[in-house]
Amino acid sequence: MDFDLTKEQEMIRKEVRNFAQKEIAPIAGELDEKEEFSEKLTRKMGEIGLFGMFVSEDYEGQAMDYISYIIAVEEIARVDGSQAATIAAGNSLGIGPIFYFGTEEQKQKYLPKLCAGEGLWGFGLTEPTAGSDAGGSKTTAVLEGDEWVINGSKIFITNAACDLTMGVTVQAITGTRDNGKPEYSCILVEKGTPGFKAVPMHKKMMWRASNTAELYFDNVRVPKENILGKKGDGFHQMLQTLDGGRLSIGAMGLGGAQGGFDLALKYAKEREQFGQPISKFQAIAFKLADCAMEIECARNLLYKACWLKSNHRSFEKEAAMGKLYCSEVMSRVVDHAVQIHGGYGLMKEYNVERFYRDQKLLEIGEGTSEVQRIVISRFIGC
Amino acid sequence: MKICVCVKHVPDTAATIKLAGDTAFDDADVKFISNPYDEFGIEEAVSIVEKEGGEVVIVTIGKEAATSTIRSAMAMGAHRAIHVKTDGQFLDSTLTARALKAVMEEDGLPDLIFTGKGSVDTESFQTQYRLAKSLGLPIVNEVSTLTLEGQKAIAQREIGGGEKQVLELGLPCVIGATKGLNEPRYPKFPDIMKAKKKEIKEMALSELGINEADAKVTMEKMEAVPERSGAKMIEGSVDDQVTELVRILKEEEKVI
Ligand SMILES: Cc1cc2nc3c(=O)[nH]c(=O)nc-3n(C[C@H](O)[C@H](O)[C@H](O)COP(=O)(O)OP(=O)(O)OC[C@H]3O[C@@H](n4cnc5c(N)ncnc54)[C@H](O)[C@@H]3O)c2cc1C
Repeated sequence: MDFDLTKEQEMIRKEVRNFAQKEIAPIAGELDEKEEFSEKLTRKMGEIGLFGMFVSEDYEGQAMDYISYIIAVEEIARVDGSQAATIAAGNSLGIGPIFYFGTEEQKQKYLPKLCAGEGLWGFGLTEPTAGSDAGGSKTTAVLEGDEWVINGSKIFITNAACDLTMGVTVQAITGTRDNGKPEYSCILVEKGTPGFKAVPMHKKMMWRASNTAELYFDNVRVPKENILGKKGDGFHQMLQTLDGGRLSIGAMGLGGAQGGFDLALKYAKEREQFGQPISKFQAIAFKLADCAMEIECARNLLYKACWLKSNHRSFEKEAAMGKLYCSEVMSRVVDHAVQIHGGYGLMKEYNVERFYRDQKLLEIGEGTSEVQRIVISRFIGC
Repeated sequence: MKICVCVKHVPDTAATIKLAGDTAFDDADVKFISNPYDEFGIEEAVSIVEKEGGEVVIVTIGKEAATSTIRSAMAMGAHRAIHVKTDGQFLDSTLTARALKAVMEEDGLPDLIFTGKGSVDTESFQTQYRLAKSLGLPIVNEVSTLTLEGQKAIAQREIGGGEKQVLELGLPCVIGATKGLNEPRYPKFPDIMKAKKKEIKEMALSELGINEADAKVTMEKMEAVPERSGAKMIEGSVDDQVTELVRILKEEEKVI
């Protein structure tokens, strides 16, 4: 057994941490407060290579292993959930499906810009009436001559309505299967296509500096070639995309837990009450000890899931466990972290309240905690 | 153009240092980084070579773990490195400068040498001067703007009070870099991967004919800086205050 990261993985961690501390930490609070997606910061993240991390050099990706990608997301999340969301969604949901399922032409057309962070791509699955039950979605695409005609709407789509957005992958019903159930396909829709509208969603509690959109498709016509992979592959592509995406949400939980813990430990050593640092009170010290232990477990579980994926073993069960565990660990850690900060923990001046808010999404997005438990229980034969 | 950049592997100034024994600290959990001032030198050297061609060679005198600092410099664009390995945590500036000189003589003298204006760990601010002197080269320290014109370097340094001094030096010369010279770049991930394949030549101090026993400065004891005790306010009329102050200095602090 070897628990050591490779030298490159350690360097990635060091460089991303350095970048996050210097470029993101000083402005994270302000962007959150103003609910502002920063194009400038996104481009900077692109410059160092945070997009297209697992994409080969043929498409100007960074050609790194999956663990390096996860470490990068973890280190960004340690400082700010919103920027981690832009990166995680950009890679796993935006770039991933095009890279894994796209034709050579589609890859050449979109990936170089996306991998440079000069453009973003959304992945539209969730609909107003179909969240956990993705099979209940209603958006349709009908082939008319050489064009798909798309009608419907999507909601909560990350990176889909900012100036950098180049387009979205949309999952739509394209027919009926032999068993009578709907057949799904994924179709690429470029920004600016007539009838396609992306509207930013505001007033979020968390990820306030990340871009979230509602999408409307009103007789949107795109060329037949815009289908991703084969007709009818959509459901499968979506499941595969979410399996990988779960690892990056797990990384956000892990990094966020670590970030919250760092703040709490520092504060507990500095804050004095009754004549001593509060970290000396057993009630506080035990909370911190529990946090440290749970973060250690979370990291081991998540990295193992990534290791399985990197080694082409089945990793779906571990990915669900990693996503679920890391996000719930972050929930417990940030709860303790705010408690340890006392009244100051509730004030915006102390970053810990941002971690407290940002955490909640992780138990909901890309499959709720309940859905993860369903997935795991199926794997163990319930 | 061949440029050598002297880069030191130092503990992060934000790290918590725990003493271990009399003359060392426990570095197991301490994060080490490239001396921040040296990074300005790396950035300057890399951007000069990007424009004018040539190579950037990193020279590091330090322990085994300094490799990570060397790889970071390579990810920023340096071409190769020479790592002179030491065992201990402290090597005085005389020997460090001697080792740097020996390395550069063996590798072929560069056209330009960068160091930082000082290192954030020992803060002796001497190595660059000793190196320049021993090589017979001109030096300017604390350089915040640099332009090269043919065989000349024009260096600007702040001399306090908002004043700047502009100096012209012939190449080769030694430039002690400081804040303002540039914004060190963040390495791009593919460059981090490529850095792994670049050459690091490893040498021992003894191979350069350097004997640690020749050090001019040895570490006697390492101690934590005592925490400052609180200030004491002296009240009363000016006369009373002076009398009280003199009494304290004489009787309590025993300094006069
Ligand atoms: C900020 C943000 C960004 C997002 N980004 C994207 C994106 O980029 N692309 C995208 O497609 N989607 C995105 N989503 C959508 C997200 O994936 C969904 O919100 C999520 O899947 C849950 O769906 P829902 O909100 O409709 O909740 P519902 O499915 O309505 O769930 C409501 C509650 O019922 C529970 N529940 C549902 N079914 C079951 C069951 N069978 N058993 C037990 N409990 C059940 C759920 O666990 C949950 O607690 C994003 C959401 C947010 C908030």
